[in-house]
Formats: sequence, C-alpha cells, structure tokens
Amino acid sequence: MIHPTDELTALLDDALPAAQAEAVRAHLAACPACRAEQARLQGAVALLSALPPAPEPSPFFGARLEARLRAEAAAPRGLRARLAAWRWQVVLPLAGAVAAAGVALAVGLHHPRNPEDGLFAANLELLEDYDTASAVGVDEPEDVLVVAQLDRLERREGRP
Amino acid sequence: MGPDPDAALMLAFQRGDDGAFRSLYERHARAMVAFCHHFLRDAARAEELAQDVFVNVYRARDRYQPSARFKTFLYRVASNLCLNELRRPERAARPAPAPEDAPPALDQLASPGPDPEDVARGRALERAVERMLAGLPEKQRAALVLCRFEGLSYEEIAQVLDATVPAVKSLIHRATVAAAAALAPFQSPAPEEALS
Repeated sequence: MIHPTDELTALLDDALPAAQAEAVRAHLAACPACRAEQARLQGAVALLSALPPAPEPSPFFGARLEARLRAEAAAPRGLRARLAAWRWQVVLPLAGAVAAAGVALAVGLHHPRNPEDGLFAANLELLEDYDTASAVGVDEPEDVLVVAQLDRLERREGRP
Repeated sequence: MGPDPDAALMLAFQRGDDGAFRSLYERHARAMVAFCHHFLRDAARAEELAQDVFVNVYRARDRYQPSARFKTFLYRVASNLCLNELRRPERAARPAPAPEDAPPALDQLASPGPDPEDVARGRALERAVERMLAGLPEKQRAALVLCRFEGLSYEEIAQVLDATVPAVKSLIHRATVAAAAALAPFQSPAPEEALS
C-alpha cells in the first residue's frame, strides 16, 4: 500500500484537485495510520489557529508613514536622479582632487630647474611645495601653484 | 481573475492620485503589520517593516504592472523584506526562546478566560511556535505563515514566492509536519496510533 502522506496537508487545506482528493479520502477510510497522521497535522493546524491575533498597528502608524512618504516625495526619484543629487557631495570634490593632481603634474613637468629628473622627482618637489603651502594655510590648487612659482623665483635669486 | 480594486487604486496613484495610495495603505496596513509580526514574531520591528513595505511600493510605483493581484504584489514585497530581516547578522545571532517546562494539552488551550494558567499556556504555545518558525528553512517559513496565518491560497503563495504550486504544496506540507512535531506536547493524545 502506498500512503499518500504528502497529500494529507493539501487535503486539509482543500488544495487538491477533486479526483485526487477523493482518492486520498478513500485511502484514509481504509488506513488507520494515515488517519492518525492526518489527525496529527490537523492538530498542528488547529494550534496555529489558536494563537492570539497579531497586534493592531499603533495609532501613529499612519502619521509616521505619511511623514516618510513626504520625505520620499521630496527626495529625487530613480537612480539617475539620486546620482545627480550625490554629484554635489561626491563627484565635485572628486573632480577637484583630480584637477589638483593635474595642476601638480603640470607644475612638475614644466619645472625649469631640473627637467631631466623626470616625473617622480618633479612630483616630490611639488609635494614639498605643497607641504609649504599647507604649513601657511594655503590649500587651493591655484594657491599651491603660486607658492611653487614663488619658491622657484626665490631659489633663482639665491635666497635661502 | 476578477477586477482588482486595489490594482485600480495603484494605477490611479501612478497617474498622480496620492489619495489612491492613502486608500491602499489604509486598506492593507493592518494585514501587513500582522504578516510581518507573524513572520518575525517581533511586534516593534513588524510595524517598521510594514511601513517599509508601503515606502517600497511608493518608490516602485512607476514599475508597477497589474499582472497579478495587488495583494499578492504587496505580500511579495513584504516577504522579501522579512526574509532580508531574517538574514541580518544581528537577528540571525539572536537565540531562540527557551522551551517551557510543562506544555498544556490542546483541550486545555481551547478553554478561554482570564485564568493566568491559560495566559501562561498561550504564551508557552507562542514561544513554541516561535522556536518552530526559527528552525524552518526560509521558504518553508514564508509559505507556512502565508498559508496558516494570512489565509492565502496555494496559488497565491506560489505567486508571492515566485514558485510553482506543487513546490508550494511541498513547502507547506513539510512545514506543517515540522509544526506537528514541534507542537506535539501541546496536542491532545491522538485516538489512533501514529503512522509507523
């Protein structure tokens, strides 16, 4: 005898096609073991139904949700819009940093005193200039360039 | 499938009718809080997640298509949020509630009343269900909650979980078998011998 144990829950839930349900019922009428198993499953279903109901939404549910929806409505929609919003926080500072690096590279490459030293040495020198600039509270790329030029002029003129 | 008034409301919301969205959450807020509570057994977090459900629907309004009933769509969003919640490391690390010492029989549970013993038995059953749910695989847990607590049909659950109806039938059967084993101490003695 093949016991239709996998169908017993679906039978309880009235989720079997009519012909299959009839076949399982016929089996149950002749099989005490399957009837016991079905009673066990039915008992579990009854216990789950006996649980207290879920709590009601709090009185502030609607007000809180409305507040969140107002914030959503005010926020930019979609990935493109969100990226556009982030541009001012992320992209522009990043672009500024890239521009500063470009200025630094240009100053290094066009430094007249030691053109043969190559890129690395030039950048090291620029870093020293940048340290100087930082020490006097100058942090804009343009200001760094000015400091670098002044420093070079001073050295040409033999100043310490 | 007959006309779905909720889908009509959602389409009205897509066209800019904010009042339609308000009607939707007023109709379904209680069901979503209940579902999240049944899924997580955590009243405070359930309410937050129910709000997340509506915020997500609000955000996704442009992508909504009335290919399924709105209720199914809502439960799908809620199920995904609850499953994500279960996967959070701090929740996964949370221990299951300790078992009670003396679980009562089913016929004792059925008697209503303010008797403190009844209240204690009810709590013991809740804790046993919570432990049982915590031990189920995610899909079984979702299918059991949708079936036993929310009353969805196997077909609706299949749509919510993006599964076939036979797969849902199997999930619910295995979860119900697990529930029967976990809640056996609460059951009255069976009149016939169990299947050997």
